[in-house]
Amino acid sequence: MADPGKMNDAKLFCPVSGLNATWEETRTLQRLLWQPLVMNNTPAPNNSRRSFLKLLPLGVLAGVFASLGGAAFRFLRPRISVATDAWLDVAPLSELTGPQPLSRKIVAEQITGWAVATEEHSVFVLPAKNNQVLSAVCPHEGCEVVWEQNRNRFSCPCHESYFAADGGRISGPAPRGLDPLPMRVQGGKLQVQYVSKEQSTRA
Amino acid sequence: MTDREHTIDRIWFLRATGGVVLVVLLVQFLTGVLLAFYYVPSVDHAYTTVSYIERVVSSGSWIRSLHHYGSQWLTLFVFLHIIQLFLTRAYASRRIQWIAAVLVLGLVMAAGGTGYSLPWDARAFFSTRIAEGLVGGLPGVGRIARLWLLGGSEISTLTLSRFFALHVLLTPAAIVAVVVWRLFRTRVCWPNLVRHAIVAGLVFIALALWCWKHPAPLGPSVADMTAEYLPRPGSQFLWLYQSLKYLPGGLGSIAGLVLPGIALVILVLLPWLKSQRLIGGSILAACVLLVGVMTTASYLSDRRDQRTRQQLSRQAAQEEAARREPFRPVPVRLVADTANTGPAEPPVLYTKFCANCHGQHGEGGRQGPLRFPPLLGVSAKPHRTVDDIVSLLQKPDSYGLQPPMRSFSDKLTEQQMREIAAWIVRL
Repeated sequence: MADPGKMNDAKLFCPVSGLNATWEETRTLQRLLWQPLVMNNTPAPNNSRRSFLKLLPLGVLAGVFASLGGAAFRFLRPRISVATDAWLDVAPLSELTGPQPLSRKIVAEQITGWAVATEEHSVFVLPAKNNQVLSAVCPHEGCEVVWEQNRNRFSCPCHESYFAADGGRISGPAPRGLDPLPMRVQGGKLQVQYVSKEQSTRA
Repeated sequence: MTDREHTIDRIWFLRATGGVVLVVLLVQFLTGVLLAFYYVPSVDHAYTTVSYIERVVSSGSWIRSLHHYGSQWLTLFVFLHIIQLFLTRAYASRRIQWIAAVLVLGLVMAAGGTGYSLPWDARAFFSTRIAEGLVGGLPGVGRIARLWLLGGSEISTLTLSRFFALHVLLTPAAIVAVVVWRLFRTRVCWPNLVRHAIVAGLVFIALALWCWKHPAPLGPSVADMTAEYLPRPGSQFLWLYQSLKYLPGGLGSIAGLVLPGIALVILVLLPWLKSQRLIGGSILAACVLLVGVMTTASYLSDRRDQRTRQQLSRQAAQEEAARREPFRPVPVRLVADTANTGPAEPPVLYTKFCANCHGQHGEGGRQGPLRFPPLLGVSAKPHRTVDDIVSLLQKPDSYGLQPPMRSFSDKLTEQQMREIAAWIVRL
């Protein structure tokens, strides 16, 4: 709209309203709408008022995005999953004998959002080390380690970390040995609390 | 311009409906995307995830309410937009805008219709039933159309997935295509945009405040629904709901789908028709009249009848109470069930009486032209608990089943039926 004078009689076509209006009609409307908002009643230079009005549609759009965006941030904020601190049965003490680490499964419940997930976790019991219980999760990237009986070591199938029979780190990218879990003996049974430790690549 | 058009031109808020439609559409898209971050479209989790959004997630209630009431406001403003276009004879001079507006109205109604099923609460249950009935009653194609809409012969988790895909993928894509086509084929002028922006901004603020005060309704889950539950659709469908009360069964599809469809097609074709003002005017006037009268009648009949009023306020109180109850997460098994590895062997009596048709392990079968439905996963369907299956085996016709399925009352005792049913629901 370079020169309003030239446009006086031309009908401007607006696609959003689907209406034609002359420049004069549009100006009248603007004046009606904006007169009370302009502090100084003497007409402001056309340019600055028009550039202010030009920003208004963008302002409304920004307002919609801002209010929804604020809500979206709260809405999408991640939820920390809550592990139940229940004591989980591993095995009766009478089963836990011999020099080798014994592989056992424990079933733990974890509340994540709307779901209570029942997950199975692998652990190793070390009868030789006073029944210490190790999580089978490799502290490097969280793969499950396996016990290699013939070489007397744990090995991680993902990135070749190796751990001794007592869980200590031998070699490979793992930052530390296998993580021990809190344990106790109750009623002749070995019990643990399942705690998920941070892996080194996430730490 | 005639004098009349000049008058319309002066009613400035009527000239700004386009911007409102655009902004409310934007709100629908944004809130829809957000809801999809939590929603799971399956019969065992849909209700849980929606009530999780409603009761646990921050701002979840507001966002869902925006989406719920936004769809109703959107329908209203698209309709006002069409009226405005009609009064300014857009069908003759600005065809693209006219056609786009009519198409958007149809699509918005379709989105509303499919969206009501998604929470899988009591309302959704009835809404899906109505959709099933309307589509199934279409002359000629009804039977096939119903099967394709439901994804099977019964409303099931497949139906929910279909409604989900229609609601979040197909309809929005079509709406975007129409709106983009319309916006890019026409020029934008800033002075008009300012007016649109002001009105749209005010409407957005009003919608936001309304939704802040009024959370979207969420009925009881289908499992907790009692027989006296009174379903009510969203306000954009009240006219249809009320009309269906007055019409004999067979005419429902005509009134609910065929006539609105024909009206939309005529309105889309209006630019190429003769006596446009008469045809378009009578269709729009009929719509205003029908929607106005029926919506009012629906409100009035709900208020007048005392038992209805009491039941509705009881339901509202129950919803309010449910909203305040703490949310209880539902179990999800990520490990193989050690207690029950794989389905057990079928009971002997199943093999003897049922397996011939429904397969050795409930996989279904066919003999010549006859097809027998599989029993796998049948317990996910409504009305297929152990008790239901037992009474179904006694009286199949009361469950809408037809021959060759027959009653087994003379062959099996109730105890034996119960044994078979207990095995079937675990499939």
